[in-house]
Order: sequence, then C-alpha cells, then structure tokens
Amino acid sequence: MTKPILEVKDLAKYFGGVKALDGVTLEVPERGVIGLIGPNGSGKTTLFNVVTGFYVPTRGEVWYAGERIDGLNPNEVFLKGLVRTFQIPRLFPSLTVLENVLLTPPRQVGERVLTAPFRSKWEEQEKELARKAVALLRKFGLGEYVRARVSELSAAHMKMIETIRGLITDARVYLLDEPAAGVAYTTARELFTFIRRLRDEEGLTFFIIEHRLEVLMDFVDYVYVLHNGRLLSEGKPDEVMSDPKVIEAYIGR
Amino acid sequence: MLPSFDAFGFLVSWGTFLGIYAILAVSLNLEVGLTGMANFGKVAFYGIGAYLAASLSVYAVLAVYHVAAAPYTTEGIIALGKYGGASPALDLGIFAASLVLGFIIAGCVGYLLTYPTLRVGPAFLGITLLAFGELLRIFLLNYQPLGASKGLSGIPHPFLWIPDPVLRERLYVLVVLGFLAVTLWFAERITNSPFGRVLKAVRDDEVAALCMGKHVPRVKATVLFIGSGMAGVAGVLLAFYMSSVNPNMFVPAVTFNIWAMVILGGMGNNKGAVVGAAIITFVDRILTFITPNLGITIITPDYVRWMIVGILIVLVLMFMPGGLVPEKPIKTPAWEAVESLEKESKEGGSGGDEA
Amino acid sequence: MVNMDAYQVLTAVHIALIYAVLAVPLTLSYKTTKIINFVHINFITYGAYAAVLLYTFLGIDNVFVAIAAAFVIGGAMSVIDNVTVFEPLSRRGANVVILMIASMGLWIFYKYLMYSVLDVLSRVAKANLVSVLLRFETLPRVVVNGMPITSAFLTAAITAAVLALMLYFILEKTAVGKAIRAIADNPTLAEISGIPRGRVVNVMWFMAGGMAAVGGVLWAIFAIATPEVGDTLILQVFAIAVIGGLTSLSRTALGAFIIAFAENLGMAFLNQVFGVPTSFKPFITFSTLLIVIIAFPPLGAGGGLPYRFLRKRR
Repeated sequence: MTKPILEVKDLAKYFGGVKALDGVTLEVPERGVIGLIGPNGSGKTTLFNVVTGFYVPTRGEVWYAGERIDGLNPNEVFLKGLVRTFQIPRLFPSLTVLENVLLTPPRQVGERVLTAPFRSKWEEQEKELARKAVALLRKFGLGEYVRARVSELSAAHMKMIETIRGLITDARVYLLDEPAAGVAYTTARELFTFIRRLRDEEGLTFFIIEHRLEVLMDFVDYVYVLHNGRLLSEGKPDEVMSDPKVIEAYIGR
Repeated sequence: MLPSFDAFGFLVSWGTFLGIYAILAVSLNLEVGLTGMANFGKVAFYGIGAYLAASLSVYAVLAVYHVAAAPYTTEGIIALGKYGGASPALDLGIFAASLVLGFIIAGCVGYLLTYPTLRVGPAFLGITLLAFGELLRIFLLNYQPLGASKGLSGIPHPFLWIPDPVLRERLYVLVVLGFLAVTLWFAERITNSPFGRVLKAVRDDEVAALCMGKHVPRVKATVLFIGSGMAGVAGVLLAFYMSSVNPNMFVPAVTFNIWAMVILGGMGNNKGAVVGAAIITFVDRILTFITPNLGITIITPDYVRWMIVGILIVLVLMFMPGGLVPEKPIKTPAWEAVESLEKESKEGGSGGDEA
Repeated sequence: MVNMDAYQVLTAVHIALIYAVLAVPLTLSYKTTKIINFVHINFITYGAYAAVLLYTFLGIDNVFVAIAAAFVIGGAMSVIDNVTVFEPLSRRGANVVILMIASMGLWIFYKYLMYSVLDVLSRVAKANLVSVLLRFETLPRVVVNGMPITSAFLTAAITAAVLALMLYFILEKTAVGKAIRAIADNPTLAEISGIPRGRVVNVMWFMAGGMAAVGGVLWAIFAIATPEVGDTLILQVFAIAVIGGLTSLSRTALGAFIIAFAENLGMAFLNQVFGVPTSFKPFITFSTLLIVIIAFPPLGAGGGLPYRFLRKRR
C-alpha cells in the first residue's frame, strides 16, 4: 500500500450515552478503493459525518494529506479536497445537470455578491468552467443530459453526477455512502466499474460504505468492518469474508 | 356615482405605492424565493428605514434652525411646517443621507439577526424575525423621542421647495420608480449569476450546499443584509412620501401583504414579484378611491379586502404554486459556451459523446 | 427592596396556566405535522368569542358551557383547515415554508372574517363586541389565608388540570394517542406500519385546535376579549413553544411558567429597581426567546444544521 492520504486515529463520537463510534483507527491509502462495511447502526455513517465535519468527535483525530481536519466545518473539509456523497443523492432539484456541476468549483469570481452583477468580470471564468463541465459529462457518457433537470435522471445517473461534480474541483478523496443502494445489479456493477476507472484515469481515492457485499467485494482493494462503533476486522476482501467474527456479526443479528 | 376621476393623479399615486411595494417584494423574493429564508419580519426592516428617515429629517431640520422644541410637540410640528422646503439643499441632502443610512442600518440589523438563527431551521427563523418585528413596533409605540404612539410628522418632502404640489408628486414618483429599476436590475443580475446559483442551491438543500463547500451562513447573512437594506430604502421612500410615520403603519399584516405579492407573482421570479406588487397595490388604490363613496356599509370594505387576499394566497399555493410568472432557469454565459461546444461537435460530425 | 407580594405570584401562576393551555397544543401540532400553524392565533380569538357570543346572544354565563363550545369550534376549524388545505398541500410535496405561508393566509382570512362577522353582529345586537369584559362567576371566589382567589383563577387551574390529564390519558393510554406519537417520532415508519395517518392526524388537530380555543376562553374571563386577542398573545405562545423545542409537551408547560414569571415578576423587578416602564414587557419575552434559541438550539425539531460557525474549533 502507498502512503495514507486519510487517517483516522482513535476516533470516538458519543451521543449522550450512545457510543456511535468508540475508538476507531484506520487509514485510506492514496489511489485506493477502500470499503467500509458493517451491520446497521454500526457507526459507518457517523464515521463519515465526523470525517467530513458534520460532527465534532468526542475523542480522536482525523488527518488528511498531513493536515488535521477534525473540527473543521463541512464546507472547509470540502475545500481541502474531500468530497462526500449521500445514501440518497442530494443534487439540487431546481438546477439543471450542468448547473449542479458548475456549482461546486470553489472561489468563483461570480459567487461574490459585489462582482455578481457585473457579468464581464466573471464571464470568461464561467465559460471556461462550462467547457470543463461539458467535457467531464461527455467523458462519462452524460453529455446528452446537460440541460436535463436532475429530477428527470435515473438513480444511477444521479449518483454518477454526484461524483462528477466533485471532479471539477480537483478533489482527491471521495467518501461514498452506499453508492449501489437501490440500484439494479448490473447498474451497480457499472457504477463500480466507473469508480475503478476514475481511480485509474484520474488517480482518485475512494472510501465506500456499502451493504451490497456481492458487488463491493469484487471491486475494492481493502475492507474495514465496523461493529458497534468499533473496528471488528480488516483485510483484503476474501480475508474479511472468511473471518468468523465478521460472519457472526452479520448473521448474529 | 363616482366623482370626477383624476386618472393621471391616480396613476401617480399608484406608481408611488407600486414602486415602494415592488422594492419590498423583490427583496423578499431574494430572501424567500431564491434563498428559502422565510422572513416573517419583513415589516421590521421597512419600519427601520421609515423611522430612520423620519427621525433624521425632523431632528436635523430642527437642529439646523435652532428650534428647541421636540419634533413630536405642537411647537415642533409647527416649526417643521415653517422651515420645511426653505432650503432645497437641506431637503435633498437629508433625503440622500436617509437613503444611504436606511440601507446600511436596516441591512446591518438583518445581518446581525441571522447569527442567532443560524443553527435553526426556516420555521424558527420565521418566528424569530416575526417576533423581532412586533418587538420593534412595541418599542416605537412606547419610545417618546420617536413620538411614541403618535409617531413623527412634518417630514420635509425632498421636493418641498417646488411650489407646485402636482409637479412635486410627479418628480417623486420618478425617483421611486428609479429606485425600483435599480433594485430590479441588481436582483435580476445577481439571480442570473453564479451567486444566484448558490442561492438556489441553498434553498434546495442547505446541507448539500454546505457539503459542496459553500459557506451557507455567510450566503444567508449576505442575502438578509441586501434584502433588509432594500426594505430599508423602501421605508425611507415611504416616510418622505407620507410625510409622517407611526407605529401602526408597521403591523405584521404588512409583512403578509408583501408575501402575498411574491406568492401571487411567482416565487423565485423577480419580475413576478413586481407583477404581484402591481396587482395588489392597484386593487388597494382603487379601493381607497372607491371606499369613501360607498357610504356606510354593513361590512367594512377593508375587512373584505383582507379576507380575499388571505384566501387568494391559499388558493394560489394550492392550485397555481408557480404564481403568475413562474420561476425561470438561471441564465449565465455558461449556456453560450455549451451551445458553441454543441455546434462544434455537430459540425465535427463526431456526434458528441465519447462513450 | 423589591416587594413581590403573594398576589403578584398568584397572577403569574394564573397567566402561566393559560399560557400552557395555549402553547402545549402548538407544540403538539408542530411535533406531529411539522407545520408552524398561524391559525393557532385564530383558535384563541374564536374561542374567546365563543364565550362572548354565547353570553351576548343567549345569555349563557356558565363558563364550562363556553369552554365546551370553544373546544368544539376550535377543533372543527382545525380539522377543516387540515382536510381542505394542509393535507392536499403536503400530499403535493409542499415544504415547511409553503405550509407555513398557507397557514398565514388562513390566519388573515379567519381574522378578518371575525371582524366582518362582528361588524354585522354588533349591528344586530346593538352592542359593542370589539372589546368585551367577561366576568363569569360560575365557580365561587375562595379566600385562602386572607388571599382572595378569583373564580377565573379557579376555572383556569381546574381546566388546565383536566386538559393535562386528558392529554396524558389520550397520548399514553389510547391507540390513537400512541399512533400520534409514532407519527411524530417517525412519519415514514408510522406509514409503513400501517397507521391510518389521515384519521390520526385529524384527531390530533381536533385536540390542538380545541385546547387553544379553550385557552382563549380562559384568557377572555381573565383579561379582555378583542378580535386581536390571539394576535397579542402569539409572541408569548411561540416563545414558549420554542422553549419546549417544539417537541416536548412537558418542556413547553415549563416554558409557560418561565415566560409568565419572567414577564410578570421579572418586569415588576425591573420596574421597581430600574424604573423600566411596564410596556416593555414583550422585550423580556423576546430576550428569553433569543437566549433559548442561542443557548439551547432546538436541533432537529426545527430542521437545524450542524453548524459550528459560532463555536471555537476543538
């Protein structure tokens, strides 16, 4: 494995008396496709929420590319190059596909209220971003949907656009929350093929929560298993799948 | 039955109210239509502007002419009547200063009020702002230096030095409509810009916008600053037009009236807000011309008017949620770039998509 | 020294009881439907006027008859609103803000409907109906330790106690009440487990509207009935419901006492010590509201965000 780009050290998050996370240590290597699995309520989404700045951890640290990021606000974490997606895609329904992608680049000149009324100041940047966005959408076969409203898209396309809108910002690490949930088996496989392609072509890192192990295990390099807020097991997909502790955690419930 | 009807006079008075209310409606549309912030305290910022203009002008006039009487006393009001219009430079200067200060002060109050409400949802923001508006009114009702329940009167009209009152009114309506034009231009420009895109994103899903790196609190505070500032300007324009202000001009029903304009016109569309304001102020003006000629009625016409507005809002929300002028997609130069790209790929014959 | 006599405390308790009767149903309805209901203002006014009109036209001066009538009127208004406006709107996917505006529209409509009706009725009755002092003496005055306890106080105390017991019994012991709580906790789950949402929500609306209207009667026999009575009370009622986080009924009732005591005893204190005029009473209410929102943000209930922009990092 290469050097870790994302490190989580002894991370804990308590809600009152509930220990959603209780001392989790793990690392995500650069250009890795890493899985995070575990039964319902094991703390997977809480882990994502702490890493992306939704919650302040009760204890522990999060390091990203040599910088400590726990305690930052979600928008600051995003600007560092860490993008998360949601279990249910959260695109902006009243915007078109192009606008959804154009929204994400940070520090746009036209986003400042005083420059926004003066078109000439940001026109060039806007056109440049639009060309970049169209190129990205075309590259992944979504060129025809530029003008579509997000609500007209299929679930799989929504999930792809959620990922693509991070690409335009040069984000390095993606945290995907159940990308294959509610998607047909073949589409799910396409989605994971797309993720591998992004890793190979763009050098991105993926950290993925997934319940559909039959899809996930064929595509990831390494898997962490959470159970009751603690790390239960880790290893290569086949090692984890044959770990008796993991089998017990899944069947024991 | 109608007495001789001065059509041009009617247009001038309608135009003035239309201008003032359309500025309010456009500013509310920026807040609620584009950003999704339920401002139920709109009237507070309108009132701040009006009271700022009123107090600044009456105290300034009295100070310049060394009148010791307070502006809310009889001597004060007589003195104001005597000295108002005596100096064009003073009247216009006060008017300009009020507009600038009205924008800044109302804007700052709006900006400050976002902070306590950052961590709560739209419902709580609405309640807090509503409560703030009522509080301001109660304060004004009881604060003697601002005239308490009687308010302030004798605010010098900026064109009081022009002897012909008709010409004065006509000049003023041009000023008001000029401010409306600037407001609308600004609102349209920021709507159709990357900033407008951020606003709509915040409205659609503020959590997702936050995760896409947008500083949602700053965006909201900015919008509330601009929206409140615009409302402040509308208040200043109202104060100079009416030449007097009192706390009962700023009851919560005024906020509701502005909401009605935005909903009727179409939430999320600035031009729609102007259309909504035009319709409702038109009906109001017609009613003020007709009502005195109806004699004694069984039910006060004003009550009927409010009942209709109330039920109209519910009906529009239920059966025409987009309003008269529905929201349009954002227009930025991005689409020009997309079009030229599409043309290129068509001419190149590659068919566009690689995959 | 400040002189806080027993009479002032008793008045504060009296107001607190009425506030609780007014605010608890607001919390209940918000918690179940996520609608900030401005028609709550009308429930209060219509309740107060149920008593006024019964007295003016039928000569009924029994407060409990008025309370029963108010409960039915408030409850019916509430259910009608839900069936004709709120249900269809939420079925169409209207968000919180839209529902809130719709309720605002209804509020204005009901308010001026009341004014119009009073225009006609005061002509018929040849009486002033716009500001009415009602002093029902259905319950006797009691004197405890030389302290006179008014009939209005006794009525408020008994009514509040009965309503609290009724609410407790319905929410905790009956199937409908359990269904209401299930919908409040997790609407999706409740839907899946086959709870007939429409009917259950209507029962809740009936109780909420009825209780608020009863509060209106209690206020009318304590203070004065005007067509603005709901409007003048709404700031306090909202503040109290926010203290309850719009989720907890018992915290709301506690909020009623906090606001009533802060307003009355706190005001008396400020007045005597600093000479603050009593007309500044609403400022205390608003400050309490702001402090609660800043210090104990009602996360979740109000759809708040996990912002920490005001907090020091780490």
